[in-house]
Amino acid sequence: MAGIFDFVPAIVLLPFVSFLVALAVGNRMPKGGAFAGIVATAGSFLLSLATFFTVSQGQTYNQTIYTWAQGLDGAVTLEFGLLIDPLSALMLVIVTLIALLVHIFSLGYMNDEGETGLPRYYAGLGLFTASMLGFVVADNLLMAFMFFELVGLCSYLLIGFWFREPGPPSAAKKAFLVTRFGDYFFLVGVVAVFATFGTAAFAGSESFPHLAEQALAGETSVNTFGFAAETWFTIVGLLVLGGVVGKSAQFPLHTWLPDAMEGPTPVSALIHAATMVAAGVYLVARMYGFYALSPTALAIIALIGGFTALFAATMGVVKREIKQVLAYSTISQYGYMMLGLGGGGYVAATFHLMTHAFFKALLFLGAGSVIIAMHHNENMWDMGGLKEKMPVTYYTFLSGSLALAGIFPFAGFWSKDEVLYETLIHGLGGSPILLVAYAMGLLAVFFTGFYTFRMVFLTFHGKPRSQTARDPHGVRWNVKGPLAVLGVLAATTGVVNMVPVEKLLGIKGIDFLHQWLDMSLDGLTAHHYAELTPYSSAYIGGEATTVAIGAAVSLGLAIAGAGLAYVLYNVPEPTEHTDKLGGIKTLLYNNYYQDEYQVWLANSVVRPISRGADKFDQGVVDGVVNGVSSVSLFSGSRVRRIQTGVVSNYAALLTLGLTVLLLGFGLLGGWFQ
Amino acid sequence: MVPPEYYLVLSAAIFCIGLFGILTRRNALLFLMSVELMLNAANINLVAFSYVWGNVTGQTFALFTMALAAAEVAIGLGIIMVLYRNFGGVDVTDATTMRW
Amino acid sequence: MAGALALQSGPLPDWTAVSPALILALTGLLLFVIDSIDSDSDNTVLLAGLSTVGSLFAFGVAGWFLVEGTGQAATGGAISLYGDALVVDGMSLFFTLIFTIVAAMVCIASLDYVAEQRHQAEFFSLVLFAATGMTLMSMSNSLATAFISLELASLPSYALVAYLKDNRGSVEAALKYFLIGALSSAVFAFGISLVYAATGSLLLSDIASSLGDADGMTGILGMGVLMLLGGFAFKTASVPFHFWAPEAYEGAPAPISAFLSSASKAAGFAIAFRVFVEAFPLGQLPAGVDWVLAFQVLAVVTMTLGNFAAATQENVKRMLAYSSIGHAGYALIGLAALTAGGPNANVLGASMAHLLVYGFMNTGAFLFIALVEYWGVGTTFEDYNGLGARAPMACVAMSVFMFSLAGLPPFGGFFSKYVLFYSAIEAGFWWLAAVGAVNSALSLFYYSRVVKAMWIEDAAPTLELGSKPVGLYTAVIFAAVGTLLLLPAFQPVIETAQTVATALF
Repeated sequence: MAGIFDFVPAIVLLPFVSFLVALAVGNRMPKGGAFAGIVATAGSFLLSLATFFTVSQGQTYNQTIYTWAQGLDGAVTLEFGLLIDPLSALMLVIVTLIALLVHIFSLGYMNDEGETGLPRYYAGLGLFTASMLGFVVADNLLMAFMFFELVGLCSYLLIGFWFREPGPPSAAKKAFLVTRFGDYFFLVGVVAVFATFGTAAFAGSESFPHLAEQALAGETSVNTFGFAAETWFTIVGLLVLGGVVGKSAQFPLHTWLPDAMEGPTPVSALIHAATMVAAGVYLVARMYGFYALSPTALAIIALIGGFTALFAATMGVVKREIKQVLAYSTISQYGYMMLGLGGGGYVAATFHLMTHAFFKALLFLGAGSVIIAMHHNENMWDMGGLKEKMPVTYYTFLSGSLALAGIFPFAGFWSKDEVLYETLIHGLGGSPILLVAYAMGLLAVFFTGFYTFRMVFLTFHGKPRSQTARDPHGVRWNVKGPLAVLGVLAATTGVVNMVPVEKLLGIKGIDFLHQWLDMSLDGLTAHHYAELTPYSSAYIGGEATTVAIGAAVSLGLAIAGAGLAYVLYNVPEPTEHTDKLGGIKTLLYNNYYQDEYQVWLANSVVRPISRGADKFDQGVVDGVVNGVSSVSLFSGSRVRRIQTGVVSNYAALLTLGLTVLLLGFGLLGGWFQ
Repeated sequence: MVPPEYYLVLSAAIFCIGLFGILTRRNALLFLMSVELMLNAANINLVAFSYVWGNVTGQTFALFTMALAAAEVAIGLGIIMVLYRNFGGVDVTDATTMRW
Repeated sequence: MAGALALQSGPLPDWTAVSPALILALTGLLLFVIDSIDSDSDNTVLLAGLSTVGSLFAFGVAGWFLVEGTGQAATGGAISLYGDALVVDGMSLFFTLIFTIVAAMVCIASLDYVAEQRHQAEFFSLVLFAATGMTLMSMSNSLATAFISLELASLPSYALVAYLKDNRGSVEAALKYFLIGALSSAVFAFGISLVYAATGSLLLSDIASSLGDADGMTGILGMGVLMLLGGFAFKTASVPFHFWAPEAYEGAPAPISAFLSSASKAAGFAIAFRVFVEAFPLGQLPAGVDWVLAFQVLAVVTMTLGNFAAATQENVKRMLAYSSIGHAGYALIGLAALTAGGPNANVLGASMAHLLVYGFMNTGAFLFIALVEYWGVGTTFEDYNGLGARAPMACVAMSVFMFSLAGLPPFGGFFSKYVLFYSAIEAGFWWLAAVGAVNSALSLFYYSRVVKAMWIEDAAPTLELGSKPVGLYTAVIFAAVGTLLLLPAFQPVIETAQTVATALF
């Protein structure tokens, strides 16, 4: 029976076809191949919706579609397959929707601005989308890794789109190399998973999370290379986490992401909201059943997440360019997701991944709209007063900002609150490390509120501070349309999971996302994960009280931050209050000298080591190799001289050889005594 | 009875004479004759120790060796013929087009 | 006994166990008959076809016997014939498979190679007689039959090398082969006489049982054993009896080079395996007759000399000749890594399996040379430049042979070499395996030179190839397919080889 699942490969293949089309005949198509991409992503979006509804009927799909290396005699089998469960179906919808909107927006941002090289641009977008979709539907870790790498490659191509300018190529290289650094660990992790379990499947009774669970329960045994099972699983999990930290721009591998702002703004929207950065967090969610088995790994994830959330938020406070602020907000928000995953809030993190996808895409596209209007000047200090000139952009941007800051009742409030709430109750339940992470996450809420509204006020309020701001460039439907769609979503997606309302008012059954993620395959449900995690819950007072306190505190902090921004920057002619921070500002502005110390590390530590290794390689290894080969060839040319061509000499040498043998063995064997 | 060691010494001497001929003679025919000498050294041993051990295995095998030596000479003479035709002589050191 | 070899109502008589040898001999005689009726027959297709069919028939019978378990433990053990002078067991049948399949490939390839020559019937009958001799070598259970069958294999080979009577290279090769061969057979015969002097017997089992009485004769016995070893070293082209090999392989007609370097070498190993393992078993040797040590020395020297000399050759055929010496060194590990009570059957079986794979890849490589000679392209590496573009199929096959000879996956040579070295390590001779591995690495250098010349270098503008000879192509492709198939099929091969080797100990 040809069900909707038979069309799932088409979701991935359609953007890929658009990539081929744009690459091959993009030059001869109107709009440089944009329509091919729009049609393809629209088709993927519709198919994803259909898949989504099929999944909502309670169906799931886990199927191998191609075996490309058949393992013999217990060797591993390498396969491509599809895993469609509520998580991947949800992600499919998000990715295809945002890809579609980004394609439409690009018409305004790229075509209307008269960019050249558009076929290359749309080809890149198509491949980028296809790679991410392939990653989302992957049913095993190796396939996920391959598409993960493709995503990285596409980000390199797109960030470096304006390759004639100095900044973008260098930013692209940085993005590629930094994420690649993480991916090495990921690759080692993939191999470790294969070596340990003999499979890398995500789901089913033969999947590696399930095998790991059984191994811990003593029901089966796997090769743990001499470690205790739990220690080894932690090591493997942390290796894979290396790739996640790189791609999801978590501390300390986050430095590529702000630089990646050099790419076209729609690409930034795609990277930050739905594809590259989301890939890391999605991977952890995908194999959450494995991470849930290791308290150490979870604690590390939570700490990295909480720290990154706070750390990135503080850096966002002082930035001048609108996209830089957004970049740090992305790092910070993905920190929240990691915090949620590490803190046992699988649903909460997924929820935040979803809401963030919408409001961050919205904010980037809004920023893109502002940048179009400002003739590609991104400095917020040159803006101001754009509210009246571009109302659609303003109100949608405001909706996104409220969501980002976590103000009730916008989407971001619900998801961020749930992340913090889950972390809090699990922390109170006897995991003090989570409380530390929670505190960092909570503090970050204040900074988030502050930098978000600093950005809003500087951009849209007050008086125009430059000529372009007084007379901005208009934007067309293809910019406003996507903004409007996302603006509505950013305001309303919170309703899919109103846990606080449920808890406080006692209305049952409005935690739709919980129910949704519980419909997955055996072993991949939210309930199962909740049972696996090592956490127990405790409350302040009662459950409802805790919910109320948590929500009130985070909302209060967000409003406090926003209020401070209001006081400082919502004035006709704001001044650079951050100057008052003095040295701290410099520190923040330079991103805690993250780049500098990493460059220093690379220059003063890695380079001498590399140079030494190079010397060793050139001098010793090459020397030995060259020496051996020249000695071999020289002795070869000597050895062949024995063969004089004169048969009498052969007879003599033969006799000599035999005599030597006879004498040698005679003496050795004592024949002559 | 002659002690068997004497036969061994005799055969070893003949074997070495044959070997000496091979190493010093450049004429292919003499080379061939020297090989015959070495094979006959083996025959002396076989016949003598057939007597010592009291079985006829050695004597029978000596007959086979002689037959094989004859066959070998037949092939060898054929090769020496074509050597003469191609190189204009029977000097074994002339044929040195292939070496190293 | 032979009875189990078929589902027939009555068992076959014992003498039928030698039927592979009989078939080869009768085919050879039949060719002689044709020759005497029509002494200048140039119906090459008939002659080559008849000899190929004869070889393949012998191959089929030997394979059938091997599958049915003739002469193996399952059906009552080895079949002894003619007063124990011949013995048919798993090992002799296994080696017969090598000789007959190589002979068949050589006969097909010769279809084109000898088409312009005279005395074609003699050519094919000599090939078959030599193959008969090799088959008998693998069955010899007595030093007398060993010597006679060795000569039966050698004498036609001398004549075959000299087959191109007007070609100075062919004649020179035959002269050197013959003179060194005559000297070696004299040494071998003298060695036999010394062993007889020390033990009073020529039958391998009787020699083994009287080893203990040879007290005062240890020196005689030791010299005899080393001289026997010399005779086998000549046949296997091992140092220091290898001097004939580079010239004989280079000067002989290329199909004959293939035949000598694959089948004749395997025959030398077949008889060496049986004589040393059966007549001089390790546990019963008197002190001072340590032939294993001699083989260790020979193995290391042979593989090193062969590979080093091959590395600096300019002539591809001569390079293959030296590489063939190197491979003799690898195969010698089969005798060099033996210990009293060690995993001897594994070592010996691995060596046998390597010889089988080698039979395919080396024969194929030399037949490719025959193909190039047929086209009249030169002999050096430079002359091979750009051949890949002109004759892609044959060059793919040649590349398969080269990589397989070097021991790279995914070709048959990879597993056979791997198992050989592995079994040596298993037996405790890790240094033998290490020397072998280093030599293999070196060999990759000169084998890849051929591949590089064929595929990467540009052809000389004058390079013109003639027609595509059917027989040579068939043989080369067959050998390539065999080399490839022996990778997946290596498991049954090595199991068979090690099972039949077990019966020797």
